[in-house]
Amino acid sequence: MSQITDDLEKRTELYVETFNSGDAEALEDFYTPEAIAVWEPGKPLTGQARRDYTREFLSRGPRISTELRQSFVTGDTALLIVDWVIDTVDETGAPERMQGIGVDVLRLCEDNVWRYAVDEPYGQED
Amino acid sequence: MAFDYTVDFDPENPDLTSDAEVANEIFLQVFNSGDGELFNRLYLDDSISNFSGEPLSGAARLAFFKEFLSSKPTLKAKITFSYVAGDVALMGVDYSIQGTAPDGSPTLLQGVCTDVLRRQKDGRWLMAIDRPVAAKGLVAE
Repeated sequence: MSQITDDLEKRTELYVETFNSGDAEALEDFYTPEAIAVWEPGKPLTGQARRDYTREFLSRGPRISTELRQSFVTGDTALLIVDWVIDTVDETGAPERMQGIGVDVLRLCEDNVWRYAVDEPYGQED
Repeated sequence: MAFDYTVDFDPENPDLTSDAEVANEIFLQVFNSGDGELFNRLYLDDSISNFSGEPLSGAARLAFFKEFLSSKPTLKAKITFSYVAGDVALMGVDYSIQGTAPDGSPTLLQGVCTDVLRRQKDGRWLMAIDRPVAAKGLVAE
């Protein structure tokens, strides 16, 4: 089990690095093909709409930092509760800080890599 | 005594489905049946339940469910959101559990719960992880 937790922690670190590099294509590999992301509360995105949103979002050069609050890991499914802060810019170029408590579900894929199935950045109110 | 389900549910081959309302209804009815062994069948062996306040799986989880449900607490829950992504589902519920303390006084536990369900190879959906967060714990009325 600790091996799995290690894998997940490394995966999260790599996600943060990739996000901060701004490489939308590389970030895609962190998601399952059917993944759902809810970057705007109540508006789940999947497929091409999700990929387009990510690309647009990363084009503003956001920087994310995360801190794991809690993790629950079974053999092939993980639930992570994560504090996150993103510093980015709004449409006018003015600095904007976003933050929340994310509820992320990852699953272990056939190639033995953990990927996000559900990315719910505002999943928990404090 | 057999429990009458108002939903299509086979206790020998449980399937919560990926329909949040159906899953919630099955979950409620099995919980409220008071049968901890049956309730445990909604979970996989390595699934994690946090109902006890700590993450339990396997035999420890089964033992807790049997003990917890033996006094027949009543669960009410309402789905607040649900996302199904391939073979994984994330659902949120507002819940309350009315129970009885050892001294016979009523207890009320309420809060929000996050549930992760997984589709098995045979197509059945079962609980993988539950995570209740009590807003108000064990308050005697």
